[in-house]
Amino acid sequence: MVKEKELLGLCSYIISTGLKAGATAVEALAQSQNELETDIELSEISSVNQKIGTEIAIRLYIGKRMGSAFTNIPTKDSVRDAVGLAISAAKVTTEDADWISLPQPQAYTTIEGLWDDGIAKTNPSEVVDLTGKLISKAATSEPGLVLIRGGSGTSSHTSAYTNSNGVSCSERGTTSYLVEAAMAQTESGATPLVVEYDVRRDLSLDMEGMVKRVADWVRICKTKVNGRSGKHTVIFHPQAYAPLFGYTLIPSIRGDNVARGKSKIADKIGDTISSELLTLVDNGIIPGGAATSKADDEGVPRQKTSIIEKGILRSFLWDTYWANKMGVKSTGNARRNMRQGLVDISPTTLVIDSGAREIEEAITEIDHGYYILNVQGAHSSNPESGDFSIVGNPAFLIENGKIIGAVDGLMVSGNIYEVLNNIVEIAKKPIKLFSWIGPEFVAKNIDITAKE
Amino acid sequence: MLDILEHAIDKGRNLGATYIEIRGESGFVEYIQMEDSRVAALTQRLERGVAIRALADGAWGFVTTGNLELLDKGVSDAVAMAKAAARSRKEPIKLAEVRAYEDVIKNKPKRDPRHVPIEEKIEYMNQMTKTIRDYDPRVTAVTIKVRTSSGTKYLVTSEGAKIQSPTLLVWTLPWASGKDGIRLSAARYEDATTDEGWEFFERIASPEVIGTAVAKRLKQQLDGVAAKSGVFPCVCGPRVIGTLAHEALGHLAEADITMNSSFAGKLGQVVASEGVSMTDNGIDMGRVGVSKYDDEGVPASRVEIIKDSVLTELLTNREYAAKINHRTTGNARAESYLFPPIIRMRSTIFELGEHSREEVFEGIKFGYYCTDFRGGQAQTNASFQVGIQEAYEIVNGELGRPVTDLSISGIATDSLYKIEAVSKEPFPYDVGRCGKGQEAFVSSGGPDIRFGAGGITFGGKS
Repeated sequence: MVKEKELLGLCSYIISTGLKAGATAVEALAQSQNELETDIELSEISSVNQKIGTEIAIRLYIGKRMGSAFTNIPTKDSVRDAVGLAISAAKVTTEDADWISLPQPQAYTTIEGLWDDGIAKTNPSEVVDLTGKLISKAATSEPGLVLIRGGSGTSSHTSAYTNSNGVSCSERGTTSYLVEAAMAQTESGATPLVVEYDVRRDLSLDMEGMVKRVADWVRICKTKVNGRSGKHTVIFHPQAYAPLFGYTLIPSIRGDNVARGKSKIADKIGDTISSELLTLVDNGIIPGGAATSKADDEGVPRQKTSIIEKGILRSFLWDTYWANKMGVKSTGNARRNMRQGLVDISPTTLVIDSGAREIEEAITEIDHGYYILNVQGAHSSNPESGDFSIVGNPAFLIENGKIIGAVDGLMVSGNIYEVLNNIVEIAKKPIKLFSWIGPEFVAKNIDITAKE
Repeated sequence: MLDILEHAIDKGRNLGATYIEIRGESGFVEYIQMEDSRVAALTQRLERGVAIRALADGAWGFVTTGNLELLDKGVSDAVAMAKAAARSRKEPIKLAEVRAYEDVIKNKPKRDPRHVPIEEKIEYMNQMTKTIRDYDPRVTAVTIKVRTSSGTKYLVTSEGAKIQSPTLLVWTLPWASGKDGIRLSAARYEDATTDEGWEFFERIASPEVIGTAVAKRLKQQLDGVAAKSGVFPCVCGPRVIGTLAHEALGHLAEADITMNSSFAGKLGQVVASEGVSMTDNGIDMGRVGVSKYDDEGVPASRVEIIKDSVLTELLTNREYAAKINHRTTGNARAESYLFPPIIRMRSTIFELGEHSREEVFEGIKFGYYCTDFRGGQAQTNASFQVGIQEAYEIVNGELGRPVTDLSISGIATDSLYKIEAVSKEPFPYDVGRCGKGQEAFVSSGGPDIRFGAGGITFGGKS
C-alpha cells in the first residue's frame, strides 16, 4: 500500500503538471488499498483472495471545458501521461457554462476510530481462521442450514486529494467484515437465501450475533404459509427498506436530480413529506460507520445533514458542482467513480431515529400483516415517480400477533411517498447495515399481492 | 504479454500448486456521460493488470494487481493463500479434465472505438439527446451514458493453455425523464455490441433508433394507466421473456446455485409445459456475452438447459463440472482481471414454439402484454421478479391501453407449467448487464410466450 505522503506527492505533481500543460483548474484523488478476503462456497472455504492496487483519478478544466483521466500505475511517468489524456479530452469537449469552481480549502474535524493496526497487520491465515470459525458455528446453528456463501475480509486504504485552489488532505482507514448467506431445503423446494453481515472499522466483529440472526431467520423460512392479497400492515426490516429507499427516495434527495427537475420533492423543503415519526439524517462522521471519513471525494469535509426531521423535509445532499450552480454549500457528499471519472452525489451513512417500543411489542398488536426481511427488484423501481413493485423475499406472515411462517412470491407495490406517510411506528432497536443504521418500521395500508 | 505470463507460470511450478492460471489484460477503456447536453464525465484510460489463480492442496488462492512487476510475488502469494485456505477443507477442490488450447483470436471492428474522435462521440450523444427531446415536449431531462473498450486479454495456465483474445465493447444507455402536470416518470433503454466497433452506432444503434426507443417508452409511462394487482393471463414479449429466461431459470441452472436451489436433483425431470425449450447458447458468435473460450480456456458451448420440457443440462465451470460429474460447458467468466472467473450465462433464450401470433393472444379476455423490462432479480427459492417499464392491456385478444410501471413475479418451478403457447415468430435479442458480485454483459431473448392465469403475479395497484 502506498503511504499517504507519497500519494499527496503524486497528487501535487499532477496539479503542477496540469497547470503547466494549460489547465486553469486541476484536482487529483489517489487511493491505495490492500484487501484480503476469504470466500465460502457450500460450507467450505473455497478461496483466499488479495487485491492490491492504487487508483488515481484526475479532473481538470481549461476555462469551462472539463476532461478527466485515470491510471492504476502510481508513478510520475504514468500520471503525466494521464494528465495528457485529460488535457486532450478537455480541449475537444463542449463548454460547461454552469461550472464555477473546484472546492475551496476548509477546516477538517478530527474523527477517531478510522484506523486499526490490528486490521492493517492481518495475514491470510488469520482471515482463514476467522472464516473457519464462522463455518463451524453456522454448521451447528440450525438443523438443515446450508452455508451457501460468505466469508470474512479486511481492508486497509490510504487516500489523498489535492486541487489547484490549495485544498490538500489525506487520510487512512481500515474495515473488517463477516458475511453469512444461508438457506435450507424444504419439502417443497428451498428457502430463500438469508443474508446477514457485520462491518466494523476494527476487529470487534460480532460473529455470535450474526450466526444467531441467520439461524433464526432460516428456521422461520422453513415453514411455508400462504399470504392474502389486499391492503395490509407491513413491517419493513432495514435490509428491505435500504434498497427500496435507495432506488426511490434517495435519488430524489440528490442535489443533481433536484436541480435537473428529476426529483418529485424538489420544491418541498420545509413541507411535511412523511409521517412525523420519521427523522432521517445523513451522517458522514458517525463513529464506526463504514463510509465515515474526514473528507468526501472532492476533499470537502464530511458532515451530518438532516434530511427529514419529524416528517419535514429539511435538506438535500450536494457536491461542489451542483451546490455552486444552485447557490448552496456542498454537504460533503461527492462520490467519484475512479475509473469512469464521474463525480456524483451519494449518501454516507443514513440514520433513522429510533422509536419507543421493541418490534416484538408492535408485532403482538397485528392481527394480519407481513414482515419483509429483504426484497427482490428494488432496482426496477421508478426513481422519478417513486412507484415501486417488488417481491418481499424473505417475507413472513404475521397472524394474531405472531410471525407464523414464510410466504413465497409476496408482491409489495405502491409509491414511496405514500409509504412514508403510512408509517405508524418505528421500532426501538437500531440495526446496522453497511450504509444504513435504523430500526424496523411499521406501515399501514400497503398493497400486497399474494401468489394464488 | 503472453511471454511474461508464461515465464511467471514456469517460476511458480515448483511452489506446490496443482494448477496455476494467469489472466492478463491491457487495453483502452472510455466512459462518457452527458446530462442535458453537458459532458459530466469524459474519461479515457489505458488499463493493464493481471489476475493470478492457484489451486494448491485443494483450495484456491487469488491475487489481482495492476503492477506487473509484482507478478512473480503474486504467484507465490496466490499459492501460499491457497495453502492457507486448504487447511480447513474436508473435500479438496478438483478440476474437470479439459484439453489445453493454444489460440490467437482476432476481431475485425471496422472502426475501433479507441480511434474514433471524441468530437464524434459527443456528437452521437448530442444527436440522441435531440431525438429524445424532439419526440415529446414533456421530456424534462436526458442522461446518456456511453462506454467503449478495445484491448486484448491473455490466458496462460500451467496445463499449457495459451489463448489471446480481443476485448471489445460499444455500449450506450439513455435515461429520459418527463413531467406531465404533477406526474413525473422516466424510462431507460440499453444496447451494446461486443463484436463490432463504433460502426454499430452507425449501422444499428443510431442516435435516432436508440433515442426514439427510450422516448417512446417515456411517453407511454406518462400516458399509461396503472396496472391492476393480481393474477392475470399474460403474454411476455421477447425483451421480457428473455429477462425471465435469465432471471427465473438461467440463474437456477448455474451449477454453483443449482446444488441448493429449487432445481436441485431435478436433472432429467420434466420442469415445464410441453413444447418449452430454453438454451444458453455460447456458440452464437456475434451475440453479446458470447466468446470462443471462457476465462478458464474451455471452449464455449450450446447448453440445452430445458429441452422439450425436461431439465437437461446445467451451466458449469471446471470445478463444478468435476463436483457434479457434468460436462464442462465453458461458462466461467470474469468481469476483468480484478475478479476470479465464476459461472455466468452468455446468451440465454427460450426456443421458438409452434404457435402463430394470433394463437398466442387468442381468447385472453383480460390480461397484459409485457414488452420491456427495467431490471430483474432471482432468489434460491425460485422466486423471480422482473420490473416492467412497457406493457399493454390485452382485452379480448387485442392490444389495449399502455400501462405504467409494474412488476411481475412468480415461482419459476410453478410458472413454467403455466406456459400455454410459444410463438413460432423469430425474435430480436436484448442486451443486459448481470450482477453476481461482478458485472457480465449478457444477451437474452425469446418468442412471445403466453402464461395462463396463475403463472405470473402482477404487482400493480389494487
